[in-house]
Amino acid sequence: MSHPTPKELEGFVLGRLSSAEMRDVARHLLVGCPQCQEVTTGLWEPEDIFEDPQTLSLAEEGSHDGYDEVLDRVFERILTTEARLTDQRSLGRKLYEELMQCPAERRQLLLGNSQRFRSRALCERLIEECYEAFFEDPRRLVEVARLAVQVADRLDTGDCGGEEVLASLRVRAWAHLGNALRINSDLMGSEQAFTKAESLLNGNRIPPVERARVLSFMGSGHMAHRRFAEALQTFDRAATIYKKLGQWSLLGRTLLQKSLVCSEVGDDEGEMRYLRRALDLIDPQADPRVFLAARHNLIYTLYERGRVREAFALLYHTRPLYLKAGDRINLLKLRWLEGTVAFGLQRIDQAEAAFREVREAFMELGLGYDAALSSLDLASVYILQGRSADVSRVAEETLAIFQAHNSHREAIAALLVFSSAARINRAGIDLAREVSSFLKRARNNPDLRFSAPS
Amino acid sequence: MSALDHPQVESSLEGFLKKVRPRLKTLFAHYRIPPQDTEDLLQQALLALIYRQEGIRDPEAWLLGTLRNKCLLYWREQRRRLYDAVDAAVLEFMAAPLEPAQENADLQRDLTSALGRLPERCRSLLALRYRQGYDPAEVAQRLGYSPASISKITTRCLAALTRHLVAPGDCKKKVGT
Repeated sequence: MSHPTPKELEGFVLGRLSSAEMRDVARHLLVGCPQCQEVTTGLWEPEDIFEDPQTLSLAEEGSHDGYDEVLDRVFERILTTEARLTDQRSLGRKLYEELMQCPAERRQLLLGNSQRFRSRALCERLIEECYEAFFEDPRRLVEVARLAVQVADRLDTGDCGGEEVLASLRVRAWAHLGNALRINSDLMGSEQAFTKAESLLNGNRIPPVERARVLSFMGSGHMAHRRFAEALQTFDRAATIYKKLGQWSLLGRTLLQKSLVCSEVGDDEGEMRYLRRALDLIDPQADPRVFLAARHNLIYTLYERGRVREAFALLYHTRPLYLKAGDRINLLKLRWLEGTVAFGLQRIDQAEAAFREVREAFMELGLGYDAALSSLDLASVYILQGRSADVSRVAEETLAIFQAHNSHREAIAALLVFSSAARINRAGIDLAREVSSFLKRARNNPDLRFSAPS
Repeated sequence: MSALDHPQVESSLEGFLKKVRPRLKTLFAHYRIPPQDTEDLLQQALLALIYRQEGIRDPEAWLLGTLRNKCLLYWREQRRRLYDAVDAAVLEFMAAPLEPAQENADLQRDLTSALGRLPERCRSLLALRYRQGYDPAEVAQRLGYSPASISKITTRCLAALTRHLVAPGDCKKKVGT
């Protein structure tokens, strides 16, 4: 019986022989040739192949010169690519700064007509900026996300070095726009942007981590439309990808989003459970803002359950994180929470000062719902103090501000009821709570009807 | 923030590569990746490292972890190619009409003996595939598997058969996993 050569056996194990040769070796091995099987067993990967590379013995090092040539080649290419990338990033920053210095109409002209601004680097920069604007200035976020979409839609595969990169840029830009519009309560616009993102997601090869990120945005979109089952399903898809990739902090972020769904559907136990698990997984060093968001939600949940002292204690320990984050929205959230917890502890003066500050800031930012909600909190303080003229003044101002920024008729009707009641000195704490609770729900549910209390 | 905006990496990608070089060689050698096949694996991982949009806190651990996964995927891919080749070879023997009777009888005996060492469900599945010439959909129907899962089960059985041919001592440990 003639045996295959060791080279042929190696080629067989690596699946590299021609089909005829593969067949001949397979036929030979089918007989059960112990001599050849000894060779192929040695070529079969060892059992310890699944071992953690961190535990590889250092003694193994230094004796694998066969790899040197390949490593030299790859390292050289990577260093060249890195230098090119650095240049591109610097170009992206430069184009971004130039673009943002122009008035809005000029930006459109530049993006539509100038070849210089048809740039992948600029698009990447705009998408990066969306992450920043998300925390800093929600209205600017929409503007930046629209610019990102505009640039992404003008790029072609040649500009990006491949179809996959182009698809990834487009889907990310559209998902950011959907998210930005959602945050700014433009639910219809948000839905259209997410539909576009979804079609791009389904029709293209997108890197898994980007796919999961887009799914997370889309889950929030479903939640805004009160499609809670779909939201949970979408978050689960994102969570599965993060789990597979070992992205624990991003998985924690997704669990935080799931806790919000639980809160919306009244699943208190689920909300608390996901919040705690999210806090275990989110890396406070790598993801400080998200960690802070999870802590914030936990404090608020404790307050809402009447566990005000626990909320106060946790707020005390969390305050440094807000201050470290330092962005305007987080500082406002801190101040608002301080007012809320102070109100729960009957520290009325502290609550009043906090609510006034927060309300003025939200009005200045043009965030109608938040301005209205903090106004109702302030009105509650005045009601407790028996300052009916102030209650009435705050109610009138809130209505005017809200109408200037929002067209949601039912929310306006709710504020109108409160304002009318305040005018005749009939606005009590219960009504303030009722209107506040309605506004929170109506924010993401334009179809919700307000029924005035009898 | 991208990986390269991270001060640890940005300051000296060259230094970083120099530092990880011995570990990379150890890793590839440990996973027995032929030098000519390391090029793509390493380039993909390093490109991902420099392109990544979010901060990578520990680039060395990230790179080694990523390469480890790529090495495992590499072997999985090689294995799949081998299973397909074994499958094709066996199907070809069985289909060859002009084999001399003695050779055919020997082949049947060897195949029976090889299948006999596999778990029952693989035995039935591969017997239907090789002896009766059933296609995967028919095998699924015959054995009560869902059409969606038959491909995965067939691959596992082919893996078991291939292991039996190539590394018989290793066979029992991995069958059906």
